[in-house]
Amino acid sequence: MTISAERPTEVAASSATPPMQSGRVGWTQRPGWMSQHLGTAIVLGIVGYLFGHWLGNAITGNYAYVQNSGQNSAANFFALLFAVVGWLLGIGALNYPFAKLLGREPKQEPTVEGWSKYFRYTLDHKVVGLQYVVGVLLFMFTGGLLAMAIRAELLSPTTHLFGPGTYIEIVSEHGTIMMMMATSIIVGPMGNYFVPLMIGSRKMAFPRIEAFSFWIFVAGYAVIFSALPYGGFPTGWTGYAPLQTQAGPGMISYLFGFAVIGMGMMAAGFNIAVTIINNRAPGMTWSRVPIFVWSILATAALLTLATPTLFAAGLFGILDKTAQTAFYVSEHGGSSYLWENLFWFFGHPEVYIMALPGFGIVAEILPVFTRKPLFAYKVAASGMIGVALLSFFVWQHHLFQSGINPDMRPLFMLTTELISIPTGFIFLVGMGTLYRAKIRFEIPMLFAMALFFNFLIGGVTGVFLSDVPVNVTVHGGFFVLSHFHYTIMGGLLFAFMAGLYYWLPKMTGRMMNKKIGLWHFWTMFIFFNLTFFPMFIIGLLGQPRRVFTYAKNLQGLNDFSSISAFLLGASFLLFFANLMYSMYIKPVKAPANPWDSLGLEWQTASPIPEYNFERIPVVMSDPYHYSEVGAPPVADLGTSAPPVVSTTSGSSPA
Amino acid sequence: MTDMYNKSKGYTETPEEIEYELRAKVGSVWSGGRLFIGMYTFLLAALAFAYFYLRTANSGLQWRPHNMTAPTAFGWSIFALEALTAVLAIYGQWRLRKGVVLDWQVAVWTGVLTSLVALFLQIWETTTLPFYPGASGYSSTFIGWVVINIATLVVGVYWLETTVARSMRMRKELGKDNPELSSVATARLFRANVASMTYFWGFVALSGALFLALFYIL
Repeated sequence: MTISAERPTEVAASSATPPMQSGRVGWTQRPGWMSQHLGTAIVLGIVGYLFGHWLGNAITGNYAYVQNSGQNSAANFFALLFAVVGWLLGIGALNYPFAKLLGREPKQEPTVEGWSKYFRYTLDHKVVGLQYVVGVLLFMFTGGLLAMAIRAELLSPTTHLFGPGTYIEIVSEHGTIMMMMATSIIVGPMGNYFVPLMIGSRKMAFPRIEAFSFWIFVAGYAVIFSALPYGGFPTGWTGYAPLQTQAGPGMISYLFGFAVIGMGMMAAGFNIAVTIINNRAPGMTWSRVPIFVWSILATAALLTLATPTLFAAGLFGILDKTAQTAFYVSEHGGSSYLWENLFWFFGHPEVYIMALPGFGIVAEILPVFTRKPLFAYKVAASGMIGVALLSFFVWQHHLFQSGINPDMRPLFMLTTELISIPTGFIFLVGMGTLYRAKIRFEIPMLFAMALFFNFLIGGVTGVFLSDVPVNVTVHGGFFVLSHFHYTIMGGLLFAFMAGLYYWLPKMTGRMMNKKIGLWHFWTMFIFFNLTFFPMFIIGLLGQPRRVFTYAKNLQGLNDFSSISAFLLGASFLLFFANLMYSMYIKPVKAPANPWDSLGLEWQTASPIPEYNFERIPVVMSDPYHYSEVGAPPVADLGTSAPPVVSTTSGSSPA
Repeated sequence: MTDMYNKSKGYTETPEEIEYELRAKVGSVWSGGRLFIGMYTFLLAALAFAYFYLRTANSGLQWRPHNMTAPTAFGWSIFALEALTAVLAIYGQWRLRKGVVLDWQVAVWTGVLTSLVALFLQIWETTTLPFYPGASGYSSTFIGWVVINIATLVVGVYWLETTVARSMRMRKELGKDNPELSSVATARLFRANVASMTYFWGFVALSGALFLALFYIL
């Protein structure tokens, strides 16, 4: 059924509302300090940790191998497991499933006003989106501090700050934190906040699963960080066996942390995919779905289908550590290559889990600031689906050096090179949109254009790396490191910043300061390139990754890269300063649609009401008919407001 | 315009909007159930990959020394109970479609019982294994299967129990209406949930058959 553009004028009350929830509110949900919130989650998390540690020791403390080794991995694992369970209990994530299990009608979650709602288990996708913004920024900030520590050590070719053990712990923690953060950095904040708005929905399909995905994401962050007091893990973010098998108790935090964050990723992907499939407004056919939503759908498919493999790989690793199985122990019938295969079967799609939403953001932003229709919309959408599909068939290129059958190399070299074709589609869509455009160089647009510059370098070096002879030469060195920083940081992080500057006015009702924003952009863009471009040269000259010493003749380049990295770090401080300045110190109210966008998310009231749209909109065309004379209206919002139509020129923001 | 005020949501809705959102909700339950099975398939595929990878690699000739096998009586019993639960769920849904709600409830409560017994047997089996978890590649993957199967049974029995409990609570809302025939929102959501749950149990039985063959027969 579709809702007609002609709205009904007389309506009789019906009993069709699903009586899924009673109006009662449980004491745990009432506002106030006795209710469930971040504080209770922390307390129960600590209680769970202590209980789990005791339980693990009680179960396995008497085994000879535990007593001989001096460490009890089972106790460490149970401690973390029960900490996460306690955390979820404390925040209220388990109220609903327990109520159902006990045969009760789940109680209504109350609408909490004010700041405290950001510290609670909430069903409003916009609150979850903002929670994610803070969450991923926390991830990024801590991971960034670790990056500064790495570059500080590399100022000198010999040891001067950290010993080798501490250095590899820092490198491993930095890589893991950043990769985990990067999987959610756009899907979490912007996917959750804007997908329902962009498809004209009043809510997510499964709001509880959405909230669960965020709170377990935070728990995963804490679990991964718990590796540091346990002595860290020496494997880098890839966790390769047999080093994994030999590592100390910090490895449990890595394996379990990955599994916990994996659950969050699966939950987020599942909920978003189902929402896009089912909750599109009337008239929003697949050919009218915003391109950002297409990118999130492709990403959600990858999150949903690739992450279970990571979860299984982590489970096997935990079993090796706690139940003494031998999945990754060759002497007992296992294989360290099994980890590598399972890890990269997830790990390579993960690269596109990170890249696709970035492409989606810039493709969404370009038409707004060029005032041109998105060039070859269908090619962009099919490119995203093509990348998602092909990403399942390239993982073995990570194993070119690891004992793969040499006859298999050409196949995976071919599939890896093939994936550059749909990626190229998306790139050409961007170039086609920019062609002969009158560009408005607002800050989101600058970040979007920087992505194309950075990703071009990252992408072209990726084509080199997929080639077996080059891969053999530069594998495990700074060349690879620079390549993936160009794709992930140069692509994803710049897209994230573009998205933040673009959508924050709608999320917060306040404009970001343009002058500080310009300083932020130019310092980030320049120092990003000055940090990572020399690493291509350093890599070609032979410096390996994850090693704290290097040849004396590479010190100049390394020092240059380190100093640029510190300045790159400072550019993020500019961003935080801008955030504080624009939100609290000197807030400027944002107009309802400061960029003159045709997107549905900009057409609703500001601040956005909890139910998003007064009436469910009826969509009439895609939102990219900028400057087209006689273009059809985008949507009928069903209110007194006129239908959303394209304008021939854009106005600058207030 | 005299739209209906939705107290729990705090805004007004037209009947068309209510119907539209309900359809979205029913569709979400339907497609969510299928997508969940897709996720589970990839989880089990990872285990099957581990099985075949280690079996083929046979590192140190330690894939399966002395043809060690988990207790087959347990394996067959657990599988039989899983298959029986799936048959009960399918039969129950068939009866529900005929309008016989009581048959469906009896079938699903029996399914709760059989799946709980399967869960109990799966846990008990770990105490009777004739090998250590790390004795071989086979024993390791078997322990992996046990953990995943326990999780599967917990999810499955939870789904069964909460669905049948919902059907009993629903009587208050539906009165004498049959949930299979009623067009009330609760009944439509319930039917979508039953369909997804039944589909999931069919999947559990099929995957159980595959891993029965891998671990107990081959």
